[in-house]
Amino acid sequence: MGLLTDPKAGNGEMAKFILTWEKVLCYLLYFCGIIWMMCLAHPFFNDNTYYSENALLPGLVKKESNLMPTSKAFYRELSSERERFPDRMPYAWIIAKFHQLNIEVYTHNFTLNYPFHSYKYTGQNIYGIVRAPRAASTEAIVVSVPYRSITSVHPDTTPSVALLLAFADFCRQQRYWAKDIIFLVTEHEQLGMQAWLDAYHNVVSGHEGILLSGDLAGRAGSIQAAINLELHSMAITSIDVKIEGLNGQLPNLDLFNLAQNMISKEGIRRSFQRRFDTYERDPVKKWSYHFNTLMSMIMAQSTGIPNGNHGLFHRFGIEAITLEGFDNLKEGAQRNFYNVGRIVESIVRSVNNLLERFHQSFFFYLLTCTDRYISIALYMLALVLMVAGLFIKAFSLWLRLQDSSVELDNFKSKEKKKIESNQVSEFSVGSIASEILWTHTVGALLMSSPKFFVPMIIKHFGFRTEDAVFYSFLLITIMSIIWPIFLIKRKSKYSNTALVCVITCVEFGTALTCIAMHNFSLAFLTAVVYVPIVLSIYPKQTITSRYRKILNVIWPLLHPFSIITIIVFMYGFINYRDETILSVLVRSLKATKQAFVLSIFDSMIYGNMLYSVTVAIMLPIWLLYWNIIHKNTEINT
Amino acid sequence: MFGFNKNLFIFVVLGIFSEAITQSDTFDEELMLKPLPNGFLYAYFQFTTRWEASNNQQTWKHTHLFPRGLAEIIGRHNVDEMQISLTEGLWKYKKYGYPFHNAGPGAEVTTWFNKEVSDVDKEWKGLTNALSGLLCASLNFVNPSNSFSPQFSFRRSGAMEKESRNSSHLRYSSLPRETACTENLTPFKKLLPCDSRKGLAVLLNSAFIHNTNYHSIGIYFRSICSNAECTQRSVELKQTVSLVYDTVTFDTKDWSIRKLFGIGIKGACPLANISNIYVDTTSNKTYHTFKITPDPDSNILSLRGGQENKYALYNIKLHNTGKPFSIATVHEQQKSLSVIQPSILYANRYITGYGQEKGSLVTKIYNDHWKPLTIILLENVPWYLPLYLHSMKIVCNGKELQPLAQRYIPGKERQQPYYLELVLTLPPRSMTKFSIDFDYTFLKWQEYPPDANHGFYMGPAVISAMLPIARNYTALPQDGSTITSIFNATRPGYLVQLRTEPLLISLPTPDFSMPYNVICLACTAVALAFGPLHNISTKRLVLKRVDKQSYLQTAKSKLRSLFGSKEKKE
Repeated sequence: MGLLTDPKAGNGEMAKFILTWEKVLCYLLYFCGIIWMMCLAHPFFNDNTYYSENALLPGLVKKESNLMPTSKAFYRELSSERERFPDRMPYAWIIAKFHQLNIEVYTHNFTLNYPFHSYKYTGQNIYGIVRAPRAASTEAIVVSVPYRSITSVHPDTTPSVALLLAFADFCRQQRYWAKDIIFLVTEHEQLGMQAWLDAYHNVVSGHEGILLSGDLAGRAGSIQAAINLELHSMAITSIDVKIEGLNGQLPNLDLFNLAQNMISKEGIRRSFQRRFDTYERDPVKKWSYHFNTLMSMIMAQSTGIPNGNHGLFHRFGIEAITLEGFDNLKEGAQRNFYNVGRIVESIVRSVNNLLERFHQSFFFYLLTCTDRYISIALYMLALVLMVAGLFIKAFSLWLRLQDSSVELDNFKSKEKKKIESNQVSEFSVGSIASEILWTHTVGALLMSSPKFFVPMIIKHFGFRTEDAVFYSFLLITIMSIIWPIFLIKRKSKYSNTALVCVITCVEFGTALTCIAMHNFSLAFLTAVVYVPIVLSIYPKQTITSRYRKILNVIWPLLHPFSIITIIVFMYGFINYRDETILSVLVRSLKATKQAFVLSIFDSMIYGNMLYSVTVAIMLPIWLLYWNIIHKNTEINT
Repeated sequence: MFGFNKNLFIFVVLGIFSEAITQSDTFDEELMLKPLPNGFLYAYFQFTTRWEASNNQQTWKHTHLFPRGLAEIIGRHNVDEMQISLTEGLWKYKKYGYPFHNAGPGAEVTTWFNKEVSDVDKEWKGLTNALSGLLCASLNFVNPSNSFSPQFSFRRSGAMEKESRNSSHLRYSSLPRETACTENLTPFKKLLPCDSRKGLAVLLNSAFIHNTNYHSIGIYFRSICSNAECTQRSVELKQTVSLVYDTVTFDTKDWSIRKLFGIGIKGACPLANISNIYVDTTSNKTYHTFKITPDPDSNILSLRGGQENKYALYNIKLHNTGKPFSIATVHEQQKSLSVIQPSILYANRYITGYGQEKGSLVTKIYNDHWKPLTIILLENVPWYLPLYLHSMKIVCNGKELQPLAQRYIPGKERQQPYYLELVLTLPPRSMTKFSIDFDYTFLKWQEYPPDANHGFYMGPAVISAMLPIARNYTALPQDGSTITSIFNATRPGYLVQLRTEPLLISLPTPDFSMPYNVICLACTAVALAFGPLHNISTKRLVLKRVDKQSYLQTAKSKLRSLFGSKEKKE
């Protein structure tokens, strides 16, 4: 290994090798990446989870709680209270309960300025704080429940509110707490949680002026961990642990592991992605089961939309999970709140033991079942292999453009000729820069425009928000697809187009790696879809492949907006198989419209990156490649 | 022989004489039990030693009731006045009212040195090191980088020559990370004349008092006037223990001395002048109703600053029967809720923002009084959180508030903390929000404490004010020494020095397993680079003359070149 030797020495062979085997190598790497990912689901390639943080001392305490009687009483009262207020939270009742339990209680008001419209939604969260007798309110643990009224479309969470109150009562009686415990009941699903967290940290996570989070009257130091409860029944047969957070962030693996172990210790069936662990003997079936679990996690993570209120904590460096309890199993022992309460107790007490904040174990991982994980060191390889293909392609294109001293003796005569004929001495920097600039400007403009344009469209054309957004997207899509027609007459030098191709490949590869740092799943899925096609995109040459025409069909289908539409439609077909095709189509169209609006809302309210990434990164890259596909090149001989 | 006898005689005479001098000291022990709203109970022990002698080197050579260990330290370091507190938990001013002594979480030391001391920092270091040995607390961590001399906030409370506005002989430091525990209580009890064998100190049972929501031990030393004209001086030492019990965690609301401390009182300390227990019965028949047994020896009605207080007094000296003595309350079922009057001045402090780059420090100060209040806010920010003074905002009711006075000394890395002191007038019934931005700095790797990911503590802010009314106020008047002095002690103002919450700060923390990895990686890279580097620097390029070689050698060289090329190809 010659670190200090001449870089040019011995470079020739490498370059030669790449130039000869470029295409094969690129596709080989791509398939290696996919195969590696598939291998990872096999237990041979992944590991058992383990506790990295010894201070958790999981399951070592003698559990003392019996929350069954109290939570039952709370449940009965709350159920009747819920009927009195069918569309809002019974604030007074919850506040009164906290007062009765001798817990300091605060309310938090928040307002949502509905994006694109001038109306306002208001909501109220209620939280009580049990102060730690052994500390000076420097640290806190959050136990939260999203309150759902009778009119809510989501499954009922009244039992969790009852459990929360019963657990608060239990905690108030104990003296061993070293961290304050915040009992939080939020309203309006994730909106309430986001508002509360924004207010706690006094920040605005989304766009200014959309979610007005106000101020909190009571605080409790830095939050170390949070447990969100979504228990749908007073008798529980299985508990699902949800981890996927905003922008694909995950909680520390220790916390997930702790929850899973405590659940199984209490004799309740545990699941991940609503899939129970398999005890299949057949290795192929076992692998496919694990692979499906892995893929469902990747799917859930890639959207960047949290699948529970826990997901909003991660941004603030707070480890959080959701325990979702079901009573849906025919077989299996049904457990009541005695056991569920003990699960919550043991998790909170373990977290209470923590001396340092969660910092050991993994923050980046993928899971194949409740107790096996794939570390970042392993799964990153899959993406790296795929991205390597892009860089190799860019490198070889660049080499070919160079008036290089690469010996071409080994090349076939045809190729040699082609390369020699294409050798150009200079690029026109202006045209290349302008092309890259305008595509990215379009992306940046689109990213920031909804705030200004959508309300205008709604006002002038009288559309509903979904329609306004959908039709403007449709217009943009069609415009960007037919755009190259105007370019058909214009010719540019081969070298310029090739250089744009090199730059785009490098940009795409870099973008994928950057996205993978935040949200591996999103980058992985993007790479799986785009990389094989991108690898086949070359500037037009005198001798072009027959298959080049196919690109004209495939590439528009890979337009970021078309691909989202396709995904939503496919999802519709899978989920509503039993309905007629027409109704599924109508349903899917509606869902697509909503998906567009929601992705914009998510970026405005929560700071979800999906919309920004799609519009500001993927769209310019798509446009650049579309140009490369269509640009006629003149070859100077 | 004669000479020896003479010496003995002188010695005996001197002994008697000095005895006569040192016997001018008194010792009082008192306990105040005060039920607080929301089921809390405040227990305050005060052990007062007063000695009619002025604070000079001669005095500290012999002690009688005054603890010898402390006397030596005070004498050696020329201490005029000193306040030490070791606290666990947070005093919640809004809920609990005002304590006898304000103490921030962790350890706090405030000292005024004699004006003759030339090198204050040296004495300060010596004093804190000596105290750390005396109290088994890590006061030796006090150094110039976490101590300073606030100009407005702290005033001497004792007798002094002349009011001097100069704070150069004052040092204040707080160590919020310090935990107060049994190991501090044991040496504390040894400073008492009766130790914990007799008197109220028997109740200082560590298993029980460390199971409370708040416990604070304090040592307060100062000079006081012996007479009204202040021609003669005395020294006064108050040793205090403050406890807050949470009766909600008890099985019933009823409490008794035996339940709180696990033991009854076995008579007063024989050396004590006063040996009293007071129970504040003011709140009786408001938010709770209780009966005390046995009946108090006397009932005291006190009027102080518009506040009427009732106390039940027990003189332990009258209960020296040999049987353990206990006071118990029996609560009645509460039927109606009554309004609890909160304290008129309280504050909260917290950090906003997330991430480990920058944040903002917010102190909210509430004035619930109907008149404006003037306060002094002392912000104590460690050097590793550099403040941006231009970002300081003081907002009240949506309007910027201008401080009446402001003193700011920027911190220096590893040398001095950021010190900011403001004098503010809070409008009536208002909430004032003080905020200032800061950065998180990246420390040297050896500066991280053990358990680095726990975070760093920032000491509490100190808010000083003279309250116009004595609502929820308990502290002794400045001229008082024992708890008896609070009865009918109406004064023009009531000094409070609130401490806010300490803050836990997560500085950017390196992964401490990383250096190991980095070392491995760096070593590999160096090792790999060494070969070529060594080659280049040691070998010289020399023209090789082609000589006639033997057949064997040519064959060998050909073989070598063959292998070499093969290797290259591979």
